[in-house]
Amino acid sequence: MDATPDYCACETLVLGCGNELFGDDGFGPAVARRLRHSPALPTSLLALDVGTSVREVLFNIVLSPVRPRRVVVVDAVDMGRLPGEVWAIEARDLPEIKRDDFSMHQLPTSNLLRELSELGGVSVTCVVGQVDGLPSEVRPGLSQPVERAVGRAVELILQLPAEEHNRGR
Amino acid sequence: MSKTITIAPVSRIEGHAKVTIQLDDAGDVADARMNVVELRGFEKFCIGRPVEELPRIVTSICGVCPWSHHLASAKANDAVFGVTPPPAGRKLRELCNAVAYTEEHILHFFFLAGADFVMGPDADYGVRNVIGIAGAQPAIAKQVVRNRHLGAKMLSIISGKSIHPVTAVPGGFSKPLAEEERQQVLPMANEVLEFAKFAIAFAKENIFPKYLEAIKTLGVIKTGFLGTVTDDGTLNLYDGKLRLMKPDGSYTDFPAAQYADHIGEKVLPWSYLKFPYAKAWGEGFDMSPSAPKGIYRTNTLARLNACDRIATPLAQAEFEAFRKAFGRPAQQTLLYHYARLIELLYNAELAVQLLNDPEITSKETRAPVTPRAARGVGCVEAPRGTLIHDYETDAQGMVTNVNLIVGTTHNNAPINMSVKQTAQSLIKGGQYDQGILNRVEMAIRAYDPCLSCATHTFDGTLAVKVEIYDHKGQLRDTFAN
Repeated sequence: MDATPDYCACETLVLGCGNELFGDDGFGPAVARRLRHSPALPTSLLALDVGTSVREVLFNIVLSPVRPRRVVVVDAVDMGRLPGEVWAIEARDLPEIKRDDFSMHQLPTSNLLRELSELGGVSVTCVVGQVDGLPSEVRPGLSQPVERAVGRAVELILQLPAEEHNRGR
Repeated sequence: MSKTITIAPVSRIEGHAKVTIQLDDAGDVADARMNVVELRGFEKFCIGRPVEELPRIVTSICGVCPWSHHLASAKANDAVFGVTPPPAGRKLRELCNAVAYTEEHILHFFFLAGADFVMGPDADYGVRNVIGIAGAQPAIAKQVVRNRHLGAKMLSIISGKSIHPVTAVPGGFSKPLAEEERQQVLPMANEVLEFAKFAIAFAKENIFPKYLEAIKTLGVIKTGFLGTVTDDGTLNLYDGKLRLMKPDGSYTDFPAAQYADHIGEKVLPWSYLKFPYAKAWGEGFDMSPSAPKGIYRTNTLARLNACDRIATPLAQAEFEAFRKAFGRPAQQTLLYHYARLIELLYNAELAVQLLNDPEITSKETRAPVTPRAARGVGCVEAPRGTLIHDYETDAQGMVTNVNLIVGTTHNNAPINMSVKQTAQSLIKGGQYDQGILNRVEMAIRAYDPCLSCATHTFDGTLAVKVEIYDHKGQLRDTFAN
């Protein structure tokens, strides 16, 4: 058996993370599932619905001698934009003033992403969706704006590997 | 002038925690608290649902130890339905529990707590991290990935899924283990066992001797302990009776279903998390490190203190040496790490034993169930402590009441006590530095707290932030690494 998990060796790894028990926090897993069933999914891209277990995957990537070129973390955020807005942001480019606002249920711990990006040589991109609100108590189900944002997030992610490819030319 | 020191977030524990240290006018520690945010509303969410859905749903509570919640919920279902799983069903559950334990304990020792030991608590944060360890010990890092991967692979073969399991069902296990699957998994289990043997030997030779002084002093408090044992006092992580041990080593055994007679839950205004305490001791609740009342601990050290023996030979030999060296009950908080490695060895041995048991491939893995109005308590030892699921159903098997006590919650009061003890011993006259503050975090990390249900904070490069406030709440100083 190979010494490292298969996902460590893919070119682009998409991790849909979040807790589906908390409304729009299920954005990441929903995007990962949609992506897996996309007919446009390239063979170089692997999408995993990691739910609340993103740590399991990230630790192995951080420690593995073989790592993806790019890791895309998909998660819901509350950064004061319009509900359902989707955008990409590099982990290292998060504005400091926003870092403490970037609080979501199962977003990977900041250390792991930082270590992966700055010390591990992996390009880490966060594709985030603005929530319409997060329930303070358990209540599954995406809001309508965030449900509609799932498809836009898939399109955005599918463009990322192409950009990287073009950059290398 | 009094000051408040805030450490937020605590790095390398899962979830978001904030440590606040209150200094008095002399610059000594007046109080110290760790605040966490608790998952709320889960119990209400479960009301009205078919109880058999809960083993699948509860894995979403916590992505850090989903198997523990899954199995505790399945056991609560067994009790609700009044059934006993067939031997193969029980053994498959135990096997998954053992494999999941090996994954978790390897990760925690080598990479969550490991940075403190391998790089040293005074090392710059730039190297005192997971990548730093991988650079300092690349061969071990590779082995850690491989052995955790083996664990995930084994769970996938045995149960179909490793992360969000679904195979533990009311009355047993939904998927029998085929002989060819057993033959596929057994060599993997043997390899993990070899790594477990290496891990404890490595730590005893290279790590623990360097920290003997810290073990004697850091976060040391005197408490009772809670663990699970069989009728003859043998350690068991899947099933048995609860043993609640007083600080003097005397203990009471009771069925898990009677937990509410022995354990109370204190609510304090400054914390979302409840504070379980030993109600049965009749002394109330007090978190003062010098004179605690009703305080007990769970997790690895607690389990080794509670039990009389371990059922597998290699772990038993290590257990005997541990007890000879540190006595019973051992109170030194950093010994949680040592105990964790003994448990790693035990689980690795147990997985091999179970896979060599001819009964493990029996096709009879599940007993039929019929809905009824009942109460059922399911209890397992999760890697982070005793995990209790308590359900009630109506005649149609719909949930009418749910109560959960998770491992980290049991340790809420002791963690706060250890933080205070550590801070008091290391911060004098307002003098502190980064190494001292990290030692406060070390005291917390020894408990391997899982705050996965809490809000995570994405703070980029700010892994640890220290803020000092005066008694009027004005920010006086900020430290960040």
